[in-house]
Amino acid sequence: MDELELLKKDWKKDEDTKYPKLSYNEIYKMILKKSSSIVKWIFIISILEFALWTLISFAFKNTDYNKRFESYHAENIMIPFLILGYIILAYFFYKFYMNYRTISATDSAKILMENILKTRRTVKHYVGFNLIYMAVSAFVALGIQFDRDEDMISLVEKASANGEAFKFYAITIVLTLVFLAVFIAVILGFYYLIYGILLKRLNKNYKELKKLEV
Amino acid sequence: MNKELEHNFIEELEKNQNIVHKVCRIYTNNQEAHNDLFQEITIQLWKAYPKFRGDSKFSTWMYRVGLNTAITLYRKRKRSIKTEEFDAFQYKISSEPYDDTEEEQLKLLYKAVHQLNDIEKALVFLYLEDKNYKEISETIGISEVNARVKMNRVKNKLRTILNP
Repeated sequence: MDELELLKKDWKKDEDTKYPKLSYNEIYKMILKKSSSIVKWIFIISILEFALWTLISFAFKNTDYNKRFESYHAENIMIPFLILGYIILAYFFYKFYMNYRTISATDSAKILMENILKTRRTVKHYVGFNLIYMAVSAFVALGIQFDRDEDMISLVEKASANGEAFKFYAITIVLTLVFLAVFIAVILGFYYLIYGILLKRLNKNYKELKKLEV
Repeated sequence: MNKELEHNFIEELEKNQNIVHKVCRIYTNNQEAHNDLFQEITIQLWKAYPKFRGDSKFSTWMYRVGLNTAITLYRKRKRSIKTEEFDAFQYKISSEPYDDTEEEQLKLLYKAVHQLNDIEKALVFLYLEDKNYKEISETIGISEVNARVKMNRVKNKLRTILNP
């Protein structure tokens, strides 16, 4: 006999007696409990990510560095930069929320997985955008400092007097690059960790479904 | 209104709870895990219930939500729920006596099913529940042809596990 038929025979036997019977009250107690589903975790972690980047930008506002920056009168560059940042935050958040709302346990397994992955992808893109935004702002800020910061200008003049202007620029730029690279690497490492833990099983099952289509 | 919804839901679930137990049986292999998954499926069913329009049978809808929870949504809890709610519960192979080889084979078969991956388990489960390929393909989200092909592969896989 076919293995599955044998299994089915046993599966169907005593169906009414071999499983526990929960009472009305037991079920009622269950629906009052909190879910621990992956979607809930994804939602919490995503909100934390949005909050974290917003906090970073606010925390930066009160530093001495920023106060000093204000004295350069570079508002015509920095304000549009800031506004762009907020518009993009709003866009990503809206997209994330709309994707999140489409997640429904009543869809087919594949659609459900796709919708969850889409939600996560939006947050991933937002993080990617932030890293690029950060790198670009760092260089714009550096450019403004070269142009307007008095300490910086005097350092450049000193270096030029020794004929080492090029060396000075090169070292400053390379240091900025190294600092950015380390920072980005740490953040990316952190993300791979979160992703690994959060989405390992989902990715595996989704790949299995995709494989069936080939 | 909300009370009525709640009441209808609990009554339907109480009547059809075997479906949830059976999903748990396929996806877990101890009592604690069974209870935990049962709890999560119940919560997911309740959350999805307001959107249940009755254009399919309650039981059909339960298969979807149940499997989606087992495959995708469920995350193991660190802190387990109390097991006393489910007294004296164990899986046993049917009470009617089989001959020894058959019983041995069944034990091996259940063990083999637990070694399958999450998607394969879903296919086996729906097959054991006498679902046709159309329903299987709609629940999982693959084409009917692919569901058939995959099911044959699963059968072969089980055969190899049993007769190495």
